[in-house]
Amino acid sequence: MAATLTGRNTKLRDDLIRLLGAERVMDSALERHLYAKDAGVYRGNPTVVVMIETTEEAAQVVRTARRHGVPVVARGAGTGLSAGAVPEVGGVVLVTTRMNRIEEIDAENHTAWVGPGVINLDLSRATTPFGMHFAPDPSSQSACTVGGNIACNSGGPHCLSEGSTVNHILALEVVTDTGDVMIVGSGAPDPVGLDLRGIIVGSEGTLGIVTRALVKLTPNPPDVRTMAVAFATIEDAAATVSGIIAAGLIPAALEMMDQLMMQAIENWLHAGLPVEAGALLLAEVTGVTEAVEAEAEMIAGIAQSNKALSVQVAASPAERELLWKSRKSAFGAVAQAAPDYYLHDTVVPRTRLVEAMRQVYEIGQRYQITMMNVFHAGDGNLHPLMAFDASEPGRLDEVKAAADELVELCVEKGGVLSGEHGIGMEKRHLMPLLFTEMDLDAQARVKDAFDAEGVFNPGKVLPEGSRCFDFGRPVPEGAWV
Amino acid sequence: MGYQTPYAPTRSELSSCIQCGLCLPHCPTFRLTGKETDSPRGRLTAMTAVLDGVTGIDEVFTETISFCLGCRACEPVCPSMVPYGRTLEGARAEISAHKGGVLRRLRGWIMESWLGSPGIMRAVTWATALVQRTGLARIAPRRVRSGLRGLRRIGWRTPSLRGRTFEPDRAPVATVGLLTGCIMGPWFAEVHQASIAVLVRAGYRVVVPSGQTCCGALAAHDGAADGAGRLAVRNAAAFRGVDYVVANAAGCSAHLKDYRHWVPGDALSDDWRVRDITELVADAVEDGRLPRLEGGRGTVALQHPCHLRNAQRIINQPRVILEAAGYQPADIDPVCCGAAGFYSILRPDTSSRLGRDKADEIRRSGAALVASANPGCEMQLRSHLVGEYPVLHPVELYMQALSDATESRA
Ligand SMILES: Cc1cc2nc3c(=O)[nH]c(=O)nc-3n(C[C@H](O)[C@H](O)[C@H](O)COP(=O)(O)OP(=O)(O)OC[C@H]3O[C@@H](n4cnc5c(N)ncnc54)[C@H](O)[C@@H]3O)c2cc1C
Ligand code: SF4
Ligand code: SF4
Repeated sequence: MAATLTGRNTKLRDDLIRLLGAERVMDSALERHLYAKDAGVYRGNPTVVVMIETTEEAAQVVRTARRHGVPVVARGAGTGLSAGAVPEVGGVVLVTTRMNRIEEIDAENHTAWVGPGVINLDLSRATTPFGMHFAPDPSSQSACTVGGNIACNSGGPHCLSEGSTVNHILALEVVTDTGDVMIVGSGAPDPVGLDLRGIIVGSEGTLGIVTRALVKLTPNPPDVRTMAVAFATIEDAAATVSGIIAAGLIPAALEMMDQLMMQAIENWLHAGLPVEAGALLLAEVTGVTEAVEAEAEMIAGIAQSNKALSVQVAASPAERELLWKSRKSAFGAVAQAAPDYYLHDTVVPRTRLVEAMRQVYEIGQRYQITMMNVFHAGDGNLHPLMAFDASEPGRLDEVKAAADELVELCVEKGGVLSGEHGIGMEKRHLMPLLFTEMDLDAQARVKDAFDAEGVFNPGKVLPEGSRCFDFGRPVPEGAWV
Repeated sequence: MGYQTPYAPTRSELSSCIQCGLCLPHCPTFRLTGKETDSPRGRLTAMTAVLDGVTGIDEVFTETISFCLGCRACEPVCPSMVPYGRTLEGARAEISAHKGGVLRRLRGWIMESWLGSPGIMRAVTWATALVQRTGLARIAPRRVRSGLRGLRRIGWRTPSLRGRTFEPDRAPVATVGLLTGCIMGPWFAEVHQASIAVLVRAGYRVVVPSGQTCCGALAAHDGAADGAGRLAVRNAAAFRGVDYVVANAAGCSAHLKDYRHWVPGDALSDDWRVRDITELVADAVEDGRLPRLEGGRGTVALQHPCHLRNAQRIINQPRVILEAAGYQPADIDPVCCGAAGFYSILRPDTSSRLGRDKADEIRRSGAALVASANPGCEMQLRSHLVGEYPVLHPVELYMQALSDATESRA
């Protein structure tokens, strides 16, 4: 593929207009500018943007782009935080928001075929009458698409008990680099052969375009208790988390936020959060009523023995919703602290949560960056949020340096690079921290098997030089290929 | 490049958007097209792009901003509290300043000079009454015809309320100044009558200042910013001395609450306080100054005007009033009905699509009548419900219930 294609490409555009009509092809300066970015901080440069409505159109767009030697970058709602949908080197941005049909809900088998542009929460709303929902619940669920969830293998508070997106996808229809259509996976829970479905999920648009998905639906629990527990310190809250897990409980969700975060959310939502407390733990248990009540009591007991300041149980569905809304609006509320934010996503082993937190605050102090914290405490997935003002010269670079330190810190503690937001451009350069050359080479060869010419989302996930043969360099000494 | 007028969206307003995208699914235009250009985030990014000189005020920018309904559904869902409505008014003012054009100037002139003039409004009212009583409506163009279908039956002449004062029968709780508005006075005379009666009953002294004029919302939303500013200054002077300014059209009360942006500092009294009538009446019900009447009046479809719900976050008050009137309110999905001020005239296709959806939803609700606290929405709903349901202001429904109760006791 050609290296950079930043300008317009009128020939390509005209071909695409012939295919889709002018209303669905955008390449004015402003339109390209609006599609240059997702919810993260990086900006790319789209050559042209297309709105597709069918699988066949997606296939034809891929073929057309390939003919012109231009890459294709899929995009859902653009709520990604790691620049996955950012066309770094130009290309056709293929937008799926119009492929938002929930085709059929199989209430008996708890499955549904859906378009990739279906909004996560819309899917759960549509399946509510059948007593079911789509389990992955990223905080952006009111806006992000199922296609984006699949590509990023997204998780959310309830993935503690339900697992991330990959556990809820049975089959995918995918447009390949040749513009052909294949189905991977099947309705069967454990398909035979190599699990290509598992490879496509989490591939961040680098292996193909997902045009339909067979999703697994989860029955709504018969009963639920959601509790908000306030603590004087993060340490007490973290000790409670460890206590809960050690007691053999697996709550449906276990989330934590610090005081700064609570204050920002409360300022907007007026949800009655205990803003004087140092930390808040949100715990949710689900199941049959007796079990739920017993577990809630156990959690309250563990919290009390770890010096909880207060334990509040949501008394109504409305109260529960408000608690979750406060948790899920955390990222947005940061902007009240400073005009720009950088949301990080790393994982540490749960046992090292407290020391990791301490170091996070320490990094913040050193760089003079406001650190606000909200995280999936149950699985050690940290989301330190850095609030800053990008218009201050040099600030962005400092923030990026701080971010790298954060990741290094977590990896050092035996954690991983990303809990759920994906690698994209953001963490590509950090991959070697976690993977050996051989690991990276194996991943690069998977990429080559699906997309040898690099049609899809070039430059994402894998750092340059991942392939042992990348750019014609000789095999590194000692490498086993 | 960049912006030219003092109304332009500012850097700090725009940079409060962190582009999280959480507003996207709540935006009716994004729901229609799925395009970033038709989303709140896209529009804010576009405004920033012009501010930064990345693009100019070109066709694409103008289309992006014009397609916006101004429904502000993106505001209450934004955790970053971006003042979207303000930036939209600024962007529209910039487009007007940049484009000029005969039609646009004509529109600006109508919105300031016609809407601001009681004489012209009387003449328009007379002509409309004539059209309603003859077959003339049938030969009118489609856009006008559907507008006419949305009107109440208009009287030939409505006696003016201006300059009058209405006293309660006890020491007044407060003095409120009623905005009669541009077209509300003659076209929605019954709403004013009900408003005054209910407010007086709740213990308010109601004055109707004679120097008042159109609130300027329509002008502001259309980018006729200078005219909107002049109208606002006149009202700021006319309403001096009242405890609250009260309006019974959600679009007007929302705009009056925004006067700090439109009136230079010293021209607006420090205690400029505005209430929508639904706030005052619901408060009075809750304080026991107005009675809760017997139930059993049936189900009423409660439409939530965008400028009540999104701009003023008034959500519960209309429900309180309807329940006090003895109705069972059924909430209608708060998505914009498509009236959106002049939008219905400027972009009839989008407007009627949203209007039709809203009408269908009302039909499904099982209600026998509809309550709406904004005249623009009321007209849109009536027009799309083609006479199937009465559409009234919640305060009117309360007033009716109140007089029924009084009669039955007598
Ligand atoms: C406020 C906020 C909160 C968030 N909270 C969470 C959270 O709790 N958990 C979490 O995991 N993430 C979270 N995210 C990140 C983000 O919302 C998720 O990654 C989401 O799944 C992205 O979906 P999208 O539709 O916006 O995808 P986009 O941003 O449009 O795209 C993301 C990636 O998916 C690819 N892609 C999209 N559609 C397709 C397709 N049809 N075929 C192939 N590739 C495709 C793109 O190329 C890109 O690489 C949050 C983001 C925000 C702004
Ligand atoms: S307007 Fe608010 S909700 Fe929408 S993208 Fe900007 S910050 Fe997010
Ligand atoms: S005001 Fe309404 S139409 Fe305009 S961007 Fe906001 S939600 Fe969309």
